[in-house]
Amino acid sequence: MRSVLIFMILFAVTGIGEVNAQDMQHQHDHKQETLKAGNIQSDYSLYHLDSEFITHRGEGVKLSEFSGEPVIVVMFYGNCTQVCPILIQDSWRLYSSLSETAKTTVNVLAVSFDTENDSPEVLAEYAKDEQLDISGWHFVTGKDADIRMLAMMLGVKYQKDSSGNFAHSNLISVLDAEGNVVKRVEGLNQPMDEAASVIETISQRSEQMN
Amino acid sequence: MITGVLLILVSSFINPANSQTPKVFIPAGSFHSVLPEVKGEPIQVNPFFMDETAVTNEQYVKFLRSNPDWRRSEIPPIFTYDGYLRNWDSDLEPNYDSVGKDRPVTRVSWYAASAYCSAQGGRLPTLNEWEYSAQLLGIDDIAEMNRFSSKLISWYSGIDVNNLPEVGSTGIETTAGVKDQFGLIMEWVADFKPIIADEISLDCGTVGRMQTLNSIYSYAASIRYITRMSFNPKITTGMLGFRCAYDEPDHSDENKNEVTL
Repeated sequence: MRSVLIFMILFAVTGIGEVNAQDMQHQHDHKQETLKAGNIQSDYSLYHLDSEFITHRGEGVKLSEFSGEPVIVVMFYGNCTQVCPILIQDSWRLYSSLSETAKTTVNVLAVSFDTENDSPEVLAEYAKDEQLDISGWHFVTGKDADIRMLAMMLGVKYQKDSSGNFAHSNLISVLDAEGNVVKRVEGLNQPMDEAASVIETISQRSEQMN
Repeated sequence: MITGVLLILVSSFINPANSQTPKVFIPAGSFHSVLPEVKGEPIQVNPFFMDETAVTNEQYVKFLRSNPDWRRSEIPPIFTYDGYLRNWDSDLEPNYDSVGKDRPVTRVSWYAASAYCSAQGGRLPTLNEWEYSAQLLGIDDIAEMNRFSSKLISWYSGIDVNNLPEVGSTGIETTAGVKDQFGLIMEWVADFKPIIADEISLDCGTVGRMQTLNSIYSYAASIRYITRMSFNPKITTGMLGFRCAYDEPDHSDENKNEVTL
């Protein structure tokens, strides 16, 4: 009985696997996309996410407002005392390794997935405590569904446990001027030189455009 | 539980002529997961609200009318593969003769499902919320539960995507009043790939690594968990639809009441 069941389960899984493979092929022959004038140029830009987020300065913001310049995105939560400070520290390490020019063009988005506790006020407090309430740094929250959507686009997984803590991926992403993910740094305490040089290149390009 | 029933009554009272799906109150509780990360410990779930039935083709058209960015001709490829609503005649015409007004909408990516729920002031249920709700079947008899679970297993291995039943028609209803979590379609959840999915490779040993919890139901659940873990957020298949969850009952309705009172 047991082996029959296992066989059936495997059959079910294999079936899905084939569906996946078919769908994977479809991504290469997608239809010509109709874009509105002045709209997002890239099919795979994060800026297609049209939701409004809110910063620790209490300002409503759409991701597309950051277009034209490089962006560092990191997802975290304020009550996290173990891993997140390292993750924010890593983001700071990346930011502070940049040239002065790149520092002025780059934006850092630290997005909280604790939509219940991390209000703009709490995030403002957090930014102050971390001494990161500085120009170009934005601690961001938003509606649960929108945060989840952004996380999925970045490839960040998170899951709340019953004690209110989150298990989550540790990931820093770099977006180019069009909002495409061009570099991902996974894990804690990773070397940042590659990500930094990617940002420098984007930064130089956007300087030339201006 | 009594509060739950009252809330359902209140919300259907507020929306007498509303085509929207009633929101069902799911009381707090706990359940045992088949994922190997949580041995022994039951998973606690906070109270929440969930759609009584899955989102229908008709409801999805309504969403597309006011959200043109998510129409088939407009949706950017970062949000879906090419199969998105492939069986529809055009952007706003599902061809109800073949797909049915009140049948669940399928061939929608995770992103589209999530955007729909966001537009309703909700979100997709989390994996734990969905699973917890699903097992509130009120079947106490072990033999009966085993019969039910065996049926479930054979259903998972052969969902007929071209002949989906209408929502609310399966006769399977939880004690909280949520319908068709089984027997209709597979459903998207917010975190369909839990963190542990990175560590569980989908191979011959995967089922063996799931917890058996001494029941046939746990085999059925394992199929569901493993199937979900094989998804990615852009896939669209004929057997995959969704319903929304909410942290609170409808605020807009409460406000309306305050204005009229």
